[in-house]
Amino acid sequence: MILQIIINGILKGGLYALMAIGMSLIWGVMDIINIAHGSFIMLGAFTTYWLFTLFGIDPFLSLVASMTVLFILGYAVQKYLINLVIRASAFITLILAFGIEIFINNSALVMWTADVRKVKVPYGAANFSIGNFVTVPTVRLLAFLLVIIISIILFYILNKTNLGRSIRATSQDLDAARLVGVDVARTYAVTFGLGVGAAGAAGTLWAILFPISPMMGGILTLKSFVVVIIGGLGNMLGPLIGGLTLGVTEALGSNWFGSTYENLISFTILVLVLIIRPQGILGGTE
Amino acid sequence: MTILEGKNITKKFAGLTAVNKVDFKLEKGEILGLIGPNGAGKTTLVNVIAGVYAPTEGDIYFKDKKISGLKPYKIGRLGIARTFQIVRPFSGMTVKENASVGAMFGAQGKTRSAKEAIKKAEEILEFVGLGDQMNVKADQLNVASRKRLEIAKALAMGPEVILFDEVMAGLNFSEIDQAVELIKKIRNSGITILIIEHVMRAIKRVCDRIFVLHHGEKIADGAPEEVLNDENVIKAYLGRRYKELIK
Amino acid sequence: MKNDTRNFLICGVLLLAVAALPFFTNNFVIRFATDILMFAIMASAWNIIGGYTGYASFGNVVFFGIGAYITAIMMEKGGMNFAVAFIGAGFGAALFAILIGLPVLRLRGHYFAIATLGVAEAMKALVQNLEITEGNSGIYLPMLNLSVKGQYYFFFYMMLGTLVLTLLVTYFMLNAKFGYSLIAIREDEDAANSVGINTTYAKTMAFALSGLFTGLAGSVYAYQQAFIKPEPAFTVHTTVKMIVMAVFGGMGKLFGPLLGAFSIEIISEVLSNYFLVAHTLFFGIVVILAIVFTPKGIIDLITQKKFGLAYFLQNIREHRI
Repeated sequence: MILQIIINGILKGGLYALMAIGMSLIWGVMDIINIAHGSFIMLGAFTTYWLFTLFGIDPFLSLVASMTVLFILGYAVQKYLINLVIRASAFITLILAFGIEIFINNSALVMWTADVRKVKVPYGAANFSIGNFVTVPTVRLLAFLLVIIISIILFYILNKTNLGRSIRATSQDLDAARLVGVDVARTYAVTFGLGVGAAGAAGTLWAILFPISPMMGGILTLKSFVVVIIGGLGNMLGPLIGGLTLGVTEALGSNWFGSTYENLISFTILVLVLIIRPQGILGGTE
Repeated sequence: MTILEGKNITKKFAGLTAVNKVDFKLEKGEILGLIGPNGAGKTTLVNVIAGVYAPTEGDIYFKDKKISGLKPYKIGRLGIARTFQIVRPFSGMTVKENASVGAMFGAQGKTRSAKEAIKKAEEILEFVGLGDQMNVKADQLNVASRKRLEIAKALAMGPEVILFDEVMAGLNFSEIDQAVELIKKIRNSGITILIIEHVMRAIKRVCDRIFVLHHGEKIADGAPEEVLNDENVIKAYLGRRYKELIK
Repeated sequence: MKNDTRNFLICGVLLLAVAALPFFTNNFVIRFATDILMFAIMASAWNIIGGYTGYASFGNVVFFGIGAYITAIMMEKGGMNFAVAFIGAGFGAALFAILIGLPVLRLRGHYFAIATLGVAEAMKALVQNLEITEGNSGIYLPMLNLSVKGQYYFFFYMMLGTLVLTLLVTYFMLNAKFGYSLIAIREDEDAANSVGINTTYAKTMAFALSGLFTGLAGSVYAYQQAFIKPEPAFTVHTTVKMIVMAVFGGMGKLFGPLLGAFSIEIISEVLSNYFLVAHTLFFGIVVILAIVFTPKGIIDLITQKKFGLAYFLQNIREHRI
């Protein structure tokens, strides 16, 4: 019984982690809090939905498409919009992100209406059992595995490629990076693209598991904050640890207090972590 | 009388001992110099006195009252002001407003209304030589004026003791001479001064006594002539400084 | 001195003009103006902690909601009249600001912002689950016993009065030691500490003032709506709006938020009349353009007296990567 709840929490946590990876990357490297993060997840979800509904493309295959589309979108947004204000106070960038969020959400609302939609795949309800006491929904397990794969890919990019080196250099010292010849405008654009691409992947998985609508992004952004804060910035494992912690805590809490308490639990944890240990579980000292 | 005294001051940061069992005495009305090579622990010691850090061991007494461990604002209000090595003006405010803040919240802040504090600030600004730049935004001043503003903020607090942290850094020779005169003027108005400096030209002319830190420990303490010719002090400052000290 | 008296007179005349507004227009305009005033209060209150002290709170809507709910509970369940509830709401919101401020104001920058956001969302979730707040069903408030026109007048003047109170307090604060301490904290908190400012006290008081006025706005809102629910009362979009208004009008300037509230609401209204369906979309575009070209706000545009293309391009040049 309790094991089932924990398994559910872990799997949900994996999804949370995937959602948060993009936000953590952008925040850690560029010190930008992407308020529009949830909107990009939503776009990824809808990319998958339309590819499935219009062309019958399997959602897992559409992952590539949603990640690519979102990467390009993110790259463009950073290069042509956010880069224009990035040297102003962090605050200005934040308001820009608000504006982008409003724009994206409402564009989606206009194009696709507020109707809630569902990607109905035949294998959606598939599951397998371990012994007699634990049922694991297959799709959720696949989602969890995908989180790990994407994290590894991102880790590889950041640590083993030249691109990753320029990203890390830029995050440590913008001017120094510029001095050694890094094209910081492009590096920032790529970083944002990667972060948003990861959001797109999360959106695809969300669409497979849950109903979607244009306004779904708001709460997802908030949950991503919680994950990033719990896990701590500056470490690729942060979102994973944060996601798992949140997923399991929510699952246990919902079980004990009732599912309506889920949000209360998440945000209370957020505030408590910030008060007691703002750098999160894995973050270094400020 | 001894106005400020530190006994056995030690400050450790996660394994690094920045200041190690330092004793010092500041007599009322004197100008005490604190010198030492880079990284000797001078600014850390000043930060401990000013309340930015609590000492790991040891105590600080101001007029025989223990002040170690008090928050910076309390220490400022008791009568000890400090300047920062890299000046920290309130950039969005004008010069007059900057000095006014000092006058409003320093040792005599409680007794002053906002208007009185602003008046006091104007006097102080004249005293340090910024009288003609009162309405200039702080971030538009040149280096020498910023240093004056930093001093003005401290003076406006109405302190009995001022801790100057490398106030001469970045000044040219004539500006250094002006700064020396200003410091003497400040002492003559009744304020006791502890001054950290690297600029030997200034140290020799302005200090009554000097004490020297090296690797966090006091290695010399006495009259300028003695200290600057002390073997250990010269060794600590190998290189270019050697010639300057010998002069 | 002369400048001050002249400014006072101008403000006085404008205030009288605004106060006379209800007598010359219809109910729709009065209601619209009341909404502008409400947002002006919230943006101005936010300005105290965000603009002057430099602590950008992302959760100020929590005070709005608390003010609204205290009013609802006191009136509906406690049978008290609005005057008492109004004062109770302000007091309660300020008290909450102090309680939550003590731990949260120790954080800086992004972390403070997210913490306040977390507090607001947690409070919403809490209210959704408590019995006394009737959870998601919401609470009805007793109706104001006046004619329809009378009600419009009442709420207009309540909001106007609260805004005047907010701005007056802010004005006197700016000329007093307290105001100097806030700006000092914003410019350099460590230097502020060294110069003798008890920054913990100052920040907490600023947050309390910010909460107080926001709570009062929430109180009037609750009575005006006669019904409140967790979602509109605690929604993050209210915080977004008040921040955008404060920044767009001019952060850290006395009348900036008021100007911002006025402009943003007018722009929104024009857009929604023009583009029935997509007006929020265009609103997003407006926000984006405004922040890219005039990040210092309208007030800066007006006081610098530079209306040309050069001003906008200069802003971009200063802030681009």
